[in-house]
Amino acid sequence: MTADLIHFFTTNWLGQGIVIFAQCLAVTVPLLIAVAYMTYVDRKVWAAIQLRRGPNVVGPFGLLQPMADGLKLVLKETIIPSSANSVLFVIAPMITFMTALVAWAVVPFDDGWVIADINVGILYLFAISSLGVYGIIIAGWASNSKYAFLGALRSAAQMVSYEVSIGFVLITVLLCVGSLNLSDVVESQRGWFWRWYFLPLLPMFVIFFVSALAETNRTPFDLPMSEAELVAGFHTEYSAMTFGLFFLGEYANMILLSALGAVLFLGGWLSPIPYAPFTLIPGVVWFALKIAFLLFVFSWTKGTLPRYRYDQLMRLGWKVFLPVSLGWVVLTAAVLQFGGWLPKS
Amino acid sequence: MASLDRTARAFLLTELISGFALTLKYMFKPKVTVNYPHEKGPLSPRFRGEHVLRRYPNGEERCIACKLCEAICPAQAITIEAEPRDDGSRRTTRYDIDMTKCIYCGFCQEACPVDAIVEGPNFEFSTETREELMYNKDKLLANGDRWESLIAANLHADAAYR
Amino acid sequence: MPIVKIDGVEMEVPAGITVLQACELAGIEIPRFCYHERLSIAGNCRMCLVEIKPGPPKPQASCALPVADKQEIFTQTPMVQKARKGVMEFLLINHPLDCPICDQGGECDLQDQAMGYGFDRSRFHENKRAVPDKELGPLVKTSMNRCIHCTRCIRFATEVAGVEELGATGRGESMEVTTYVEHALSTELAGNLVDLCPVGALTSKPYAFEARSWELSKTESVDVMDALGSNIRIDTRGAQVMRVLPRLNDEVNEEWISDKTRHAIDGLRHQRLDRPYVRRSGKLVEATWDEAFGAIEAKLKGLDGAKVAAIVGDQCDAESMVALKDLMAALGSPNVDCRQDGAKLEAGARGGYIFNAGVHGIDSADAILLIGSDPRRESPVLNARLRKRHLSGHCVIATIGPVADLTYPAERLGAGPASLRDLADGKLGFFEKLKTAKHPLIVVGMGALARADGGAVLALARELAEKVNAVRADWNGFAILHTAAARVAGLDLGLVPGEGGRDVEGILDSCEKREIELVYLLAADEIDTTRLGKAFVIYQGHHGDAGAHRADVILPGAAYTEKPGIYVNTEGRVQVGQRAGYPPGEARQDWAVLRALSERLGKTLPYDTLEQVRARLVEVNSSFALLDRQAAGTWGQFGKRGAVSDSPFVSPIANFYMTCPISRASQTMAECTASRRQLMAAE
Repeated sequence: MTADLIHFFTTNWLGQGIVIFAQCLAVTVPLLIAVAYMTYVDRKVWAAIQLRRGPNVVGPFGLLQPMADGLKLVLKETIIPSSANSVLFVIAPMITFMTALVAWAVVPFDDGWVIADINVGILYLFAISSLGVYGIIIAGWASNSKYAFLGALRSAAQMVSYEVSIGFVLITVLLCVGSLNLSDVVESQRGWFWRWYFLPLLPMFVIFFVSALAETNRTPFDLPMSEAELVAGFHTEYSAMTFGLFFLGEYANMILLSALGAVLFLGGWLSPIPYAPFTLIPGVVWFALKIAFLLFVFSWTKGTLPRYRYDQLMRLGWKVFLPVSLGWVVLTAAVLQFGGWLPKS
Repeated sequence: MASLDRTARAFLLTELISGFALTLKYMFKPKVTVNYPHEKGPLSPRFRGEHVLRRYPNGEERCIACKLCEAICPAQAITIEAEPRDDGSRRTTRYDIDMTKCIYCGFCQEACPVDAIVEGPNFEFSTETREELMYNKDKLLANGDRWESLIAANLHADAAYR
Repeated sequence: MPIVKIDGVEMEVPAGITVLQACELAGIEIPRFCYHERLSIAGNCRMCLVEIKPGPPKPQASCALPVADKQEIFTQTPMVQKARKGVMEFLLINHPLDCPICDQGGECDLQDQAMGYGFDRSRFHENKRAVPDKELGPLVKTSMNRCIHCTRCIRFATEVAGVEELGATGRGESMEVTTYVEHALSTELAGNLVDLCPVGALTSKPYAFEARSWELSKTESVDVMDALGSNIRIDTRGAQVMRVLPRLNDEVNEEWISDKTRHAIDGLRHQRLDRPYVRRSGKLVEATWDEAFGAIEAKLKGLDGAKVAAIVGDQCDAESMVALKDLMAALGSPNVDCRQDGAKLEAGARGGYIFNAGVHGIDSADAILLIGSDPRRESPVLNARLRKRHLSGHCVIATIGPVADLTYPAERLGAGPASLRDLADGKLGFFEKLKTAKHPLIVVGMGALARADGGAVLALARELAEKVNAVRADWNGFAILHTAAARVAGLDLGLVPGEGGRDVEGILDSCEKREIELVYLLAADEIDTTRLGKAFVIYQGHHGDAGAHRADVILPGAAYTEKPGIYVNTEGRVQVGQRAGYPPGEARQDWAVLRALSERLGKTLPYDTLEQVRARLVEVNSSFALLDRQAAGTWGQFGKRGAVSDSPFVSPIANFYMTCPISRASQTMAECTASRRQLMAAE
């Protein structure tokens, strides 16, 4: 009986489909809940920094606030501007949302806990996160509004600029790991937490985090949707659930990049101290804690820093991060080559 | 040396770190906001909120229809009509305030020679329709009866400074 | 001419004026309470103190001090300031601090001057005096605590109104202005007391607490309550006329107006016609303008012009009269008349129907004869002018007509035309007085003309005027005193029966005989409407009065406050009244109604704007081009010599307070009527 079931779920196309679907759900549902509470935590953290209280009315400690917000977005009327390209206008938020979700396919939550343990995981992630910008560009163009369009242009320019440095950061890590498989990346950091890459590659970690901020359009790089100048930028014309999808996608992206950061620099699911009792705690918990920490830094940053000017943003991307990360790639490669620490493959 | 120092500081992100440290420190400070509908901030005795028309302790309305408030009102929110009452005294037959026009400058209470029109401590009088904000004499007198004790205390507290 | 130095500026001033007047000529305002240009000098408020050199080393009351040559006057020295502040403090000792409930607040001399000279607190710690209020009738409300004893009211009542009913009793703090025995004032000029009072002791009773001076919009206009055409200011708040005040015009009303002028305005709020009505099966029902015009059109279809008639009311503006005249001409009707009371005046020579001497001419007249006129009831302000002439001396006044208390002594020569005949024949002693007078003035009232033999009486008066040489190149002492504000304009515009036309009497007769089938009443209410027989009556006016009750179609028009209009007063002075408000409901300006009706009838009148109507007025009679001045009346042929009856002259005004639809609708005027009746009964 059991063997039959195992046989069914491992070989039958229908069984495999059911398994994949269940895996997707198992990733997506907690992810969406996390997104929802990320908005809550965001607001609470900002409030705390500003000596305010934050949401505290809906539910105990305001815990139901995300549900209320979501309900509001669902119940509101979707407005499609008369001069907008309605098909693209509706498709754009879907693209953003979907790209933010599909990237999770290759993220390892624990040893072997990954939907698709592919050997080019990092490349896949890199490709998918680059696709995300299409949603924004399409949204900005389809809105037929100058604010939205300007926001989209900024977003595109910003993503291109910072993906270059993210690329170099990844290369540095990969040089150290010797594999594009994310599980291998984690495994290569096994040991005490000072063996995690964030310490040996600290400047790269910083560049990665800053670029992640820029990739997700978070403060201080939220120029594509700056309220003050662009009236919310590319999603100016969006309302109700179309806006909701952008919102969800944005936060899902944040979590994704936090997860990537955790995998690349903070040892993924590994315990910081490789001995019991710490190793008894499931790896997924460690992983979640590391993501949570990075997300907190996201919120903290937003609560601390003002928005960059556009030219400052470009200068930082091209004239600071690009040379520094490029230099660090060369340095790392040299150290590995001449230090004899090249990973064995 | 100074440039080196500056460069080192820039590369070590000292400014960023001190900024982040500051915000982190603030995160654990006590909140300054008041949990509004449940707790309320202190109000000055001079607070200028919703208008009331007061009465004397014997129940006689104070307003004598001198129309000074109507004259001074910069928003022209007050409308008064008057005629002699049966006992020959000067009284209003109509005292309307358009609260949507009112700018709460308090000139009316300054102008009032008998402390009849007073801006009371109530600021929670939002309504669902504009019409409800067109106050008439009955509404204002009812307000006066409702807030009299607080207003009398406020006027008493502020009297020394007038 | 003495040369004086006022505040260091040397100037030459007319001899005999007071220091206060000299300062005014120099453009310096001297504060005052008791001094008033048109009253005698009392000098008791002491507010007008100035420093004079040479003179005693103390401030002097400028209102009572004549200027002298080489005088030096100082109005702003510390001594003067201190004196004025002192006076003000004394005045305020007993003046109550009730400005907020005082109707004078905002236009109070004491309030204004206290801003300049008042002290911000009182040093007087005793009780203020309390004075019981007096009952002065339905128009004047008293609050005697506020009285500052300037005695302006006493002087006005005694000098101008001619009723010696107000006076002061007691001295010092116990001085009170009172009527001695409490009774209502028996003058038609009581309202002016309110204007004169510099404080709020005397305020207007009907206007009590109704409005503040600063809320009112002010419009200059002309009064239509009598034929004098007093210059008035209409104060309105929103659409409502709140009060009427006099406007200064030395040639017409000085600064007085009668109580009817001032207080009949509450009649404008009642009994108004605010929409057209059409009589259907015996009842007046509300209708639209279209339906009303439709009913008139249906009636007029195929009707001979000779069967159509029009009667013009007493308060119409010249614009509506010329429109009616033109409409009647277009309809081919000669039956038009503006003399509702049947006065036998003719439209020909202007000198035959105006007050040729002018109201200001009274000031120079030295022998005055009133024929069939009771000016006190017909025009109280003009009567006050006659009294002023009497007071200034060297003037004899005589009357032929009803016994009346004119407020000044007048020799009564007789009751009716017979006495006039005797006078004209030189049989009475007064004839010599008229003849020897430099400026004899013969005033003929409607009581003498609005009767069957009116034409003969007019001829007789003219004969007398010519015999005593009252009509000369430099002086025309022949004066008709009208009672209707619209009359002179109507005669100027020729609203009298045309060739083969009928006058009012004829029209009413013909209505009874059913020879006239349609009568157009332009605000005409003073006719006997029962005599209109079965005629189809169109009433255009503003009040539901006699005419409207009889009407078959009512066209709502505007009252005099609600339309810009030209009125010609009894002197023939053309005056323009501005619009103070809009007529109620669907009512419209009268000339515009006539213009609209003419278009419906296919006889469109050739004017679309007020300017065009006024151009038409000038076209009909060039005297309309001369605004605010009296155009000299041509001395032509008028009057019909003939037999006169023996019946005595009777004044056409039985009750001064109710003479027109507005005053009849007025509550205040009803109260005045009752009060006066009570007063008469008490006497």
